[in-house]
Amino acid sequence: MCLGIPMQIVAIDGYNARCTAKGVMREVSLFMLQDEPIAVDDFVMVHVGYALQKMSELEARSTWELLDEMLAYDPDMQGT
Amino acid sequence: MMLTAKDWLEKIRALPLTRRVRIMNVCGGHERSITMAGLRGALPQNVELIPGPGCPVCVCPEEDVYHAIQLAMHAGVILVAFGDMLRVPVNAPKAEPRSLEQAKAAGADIRPISSPQEAVSIARENPERQVVFFVAGFETTTAPVAAMLLEGIPDNLFLLLSCRLTWPAVAMLLDGELPGFDALIAPGHVATVMGPEEWSFVTEQHAIPAAVAGFAPVSLLAAIYSVLRQLLEGECFLDNCYPEVVRPGGNAAAQKQLQQALNVVDANWRGIGIIPASGFALASRFEGHDARKHFGGFEVEGRKRVGEMPPGCDCARVVLGKIYPNECKLFGTACTPRTPVGPCMVSDEGACRIWRASGVKVPSTIE
Repeated sequence: MCLGIPMQIVAIDGYNARCTAKGVMREVSLFMLQDEPIAVDDFVMVHVGYALQKMSELEARSTWELLDEMLAYDPDMQGT
Repeated sequence: MMLTAKDWLEKIRALPLTRRVRIMNVCGGHERSITMAGLRGALPQNVELIPGPGCPVCVCPEEDVYHAIQLAMHAGVILVAFGDMLRVPVNAPKAEPRSLEQAKAAGADIRPISSPQEAVSIARENPERQVVFFVAGFETTTAPVAAMLLEGIPDNLFLLLSCRLTWPAVAMLLDGELPGFDALIAPGHVATVMGPEEWSFVTEQHAIPAAVAGFAPVSLLAAIYSVLRQLLEGECFLDNCYPEVVRPGGNAAAQKQLQQALNVVDANWRGIGIIPASGFALASRFEGHDARKHFGGFEVEGRKRVGEMPPGCDCARVVLGKIYPNECKLFGTACTPRTPVGPCMVSDEGACRIWRASGVKVPSTIE
């Protein structure tokens, strides 16, 4: 459960953001990042629907590659 | 220039290691990356990677899972929980459901969710029903729960909270006679929220090398190299090998939210016992949402093996890093990901499940 997923912010409405990761859209709460300047196009590390921290695009992309490898490796873990 | 995983491996292999070094990780995500990337096989033979207390579902008290099952079966509530809680077995008589999944099959309204926000939505969509959010997790999950509370939750949403802090279990091991490890890889996303400083007691009070790592093999290998070098040079410091998201001080807003919404309390770890100041309870302003207070207890007198692991299951020693998963006699025989006996074979973060799912067949022993 502690595995976070980097997502890119597409739209922001108050503490709620619409984020995308490789074509998948999710509602993400920015409540835990309320002291940080956050803008559309920023990348955030998301865990259980909450953004934990901002991150760079390069870091986000390398984590996506890692997640792809993991899902290919253990199909049982998809969707969890 | 950025070093690759291969570069780090070469640096590790070049170290003049003469003795056995046991490096513990305390994060299911770390264990999954280590196992998936085959790091154990790639490292020098005298470097051992031991999965430690890194799975909140595995240490969630048996009584709490039983309580959740009883609430779902008898209190007419909608019970929501993260998916892997649903298959955790308890010690119930044969005629009774032994997991939330079995309770669901028996007709209870139990719904898997993937975010605290879903719990809020389900409660809002069902104003005439009482909704119980049963949640086990470490700081990375607990902080979002605190955020959820502070954002405001409907009156019909109650929490059955089994959240835990990670570091007190490591402190307990280090305070014991035989900690069982020589260096620590600290959890990346726990440190993202709480700050890496939370782990300085490992290096400062116990002179055990430590490094915070992320989940990519390159970050884990950098952390392994760091702690090995610290050992060789006889100088400990808390290294940060996951600077991408782990910043000094962590996420201050999230920590403040944790303090506002929850109190730190002594807490029971399944098969292990009470660890001081290692759990969370709702702050008094949220007491009205405490499922334990609102619904009361459901424990039946005379229930056998209350609080324990299932018979024959060695999950408690696996969680504490005292044995490797394959040292349990049920591993891969009676206990498999499809027919789990103990919680470590259920959870995606459980070392047994990770080892079994990846076909690990290393005949390893820790002692």
